Amino acid sequence: MIRLLKCEFMKTRRRYILISALIVTAAMLLWIYPVRYGEDFLRIAWMGYLYELPLINAIFMPMLSMIVASRLCDTEHKGAMLKQLAVTAPKEKIYDSKLVYGLAIMLFCIVLSWIMTIAFGYHAGFGGDVPVRLYLLYLLFTIAPTTAVYIFQHTVSLLFKNQAAAFFSGIIGTFFGVFSMFLPQLPWLRKTLIWGYYSVLDFVGLFGWTKEDRYKSAHFEVMKIDWTFFFVLIIICIAMYIIGRRLFKGKEL
Amino acid sequence: MKEIVRTDSLTKIYNGTICVNNLSMSVKEGRIYGFLGPNGAGKSTTLKMLLGLVRPGKGSIEIFGRPFDAKNRLSILHDIGSLIESPSYYGHLTARENLKILASILDLPDKNIDEVLNTVRLDKQTGKKVSAFSMGMKQRLGIASALLSFPKLLILDEPTNGLDPAGIQEIRELIISLPLRYDMTVIVSSHLLSEIDRLADDVGIIAGGKMMYQGTLDMLHKQDESKSLEEIFIGLTGKEHSL
Repeated sequence: MIRLLKCEFMKTRRRYILISALIVTAAMLLWIYPVRYGEDFLRIAWMGYLYELPLINAIFMPMLSMIVASRLCDTEHKGAMLKQLAVTAPKEKIYDSKLVYGLAIMLFCIVLSWIMTIAFGYHAGFGGDVPVRLYLLYLLFTIAPTTAVYIFQHTVSLLFKNQAAAFFSGIIGTFFGVFSMFLPQLPWLRKTLIWGYYSVLDFVGLFGWTKEDRYKSAHFEVMKIDWTFFFVLIIICIAMYIIGRRLFKGKEL
Repeated sequence: MKEIVRTDSLTKIYNGTICVNNLSMSVKEGRIYGFLGPNGAGKSTTLKMLLGLVRPGKGSIEIFGRPFDAKNRLSILHDIGSLIESPSYYGHLTARENLKILASILDLPDKNIDEVLNTVRLDKQTGKKVSAFSMGMKQRLGIASALLSFPKLLILDEPTNGLDPAGIQEIRELIISLPLRYDMTVIVSSHLLSEIDRLADDVGIIAGGKMMYQGTLDMLHKQDESKSLEEIFIGLTGKEHSL
């Protein structure tokens, strides 16, 4: 496995996959950079960020997953390398090594954006200190749905030579995931799709906001975290991994 | 002479179409086995089954005297080198970088890379990415990849595809030298009778998924000396091909 991971690193030479991932991460960071926040918002901005970021993640993280998974797997499809690899190593290990490598890139980008988010907060003068426990929870609730989305994208990108299948399914999933955030009256929608779990695991609510006063009398509150759905997501990740691995193992090359 | 590959009633059906039909093949150690048949006869599918890339619907395969099954597959493949359909490569890497990746997976020393690049005459192409290679160069890289571990059994699927006459001759001479030079058994498939005639010690002729003949070309010719080899070949394959 270590040998295969080392080979993954060698294969990505001149493919600029990490650079592509960092560009998407930079685009996301540009979007969330606190350019002009009023004093009213700055006072409660640490919590405000935790309220807003799940929506941003629901858009950018699936996009990042699509790009990383597609570029890693397309490397094999372009030169018909899968049939060469399949006679040198077990197919399950090929699946695993590519998945671990891709997830490592994703984790790096997630942690980097998390660190930059906190740095932005201090730079912009957010009121008080960063609520560390809540930001660690936010990190966990970003990694978990992103892992599920990445496993899906990785499987589709590896199974289908034409990357349009992965892009199309990823875009549809992202659309429904984001759309479900604006339909709180249909909670089943976001709980059904892995892209909806950025919202399901969102634990900060906004109260007291009005059009006239805006954030003057508004406040953010930590809502009760439903850990059941976190564990449902873990089970979904495991199930998708097992199914994806089996499908790739059974694929004729 | 010891049998290195043996298949028994090997069958493969794709979407109701029989691609390989009760194929029994026997390849002897240290020989060059020419697997001959028209396009679409089932050559590549058969070779893919020998490598476990495709699962047979029926039948058995034995390689190096061991059953080729899920348990033994990888340990048997460790002694097999292959080039199936088209050469496999990472276009954004150089030839050496491509081979380095395979050598890393197979835990082979770097000197194997130097030797195979020298053997296929790609040793001078150090800085060039494979995407800039000609078809012939890519084919030679594919052969280099297959030779990298100096396997006991080499399986080459139409290795002279897309090559010019000089390239074809070069590859032919290389294949002929392999059993003596590296103590290898070679299975080489082609749809060109003239190629197999110049290369192979033994021949298996496949058409419509069925093995029509297995033996030497001399023995095939002796079956009907009034006809040319081409006529006998067409007679064997044309009948099935029209079905």
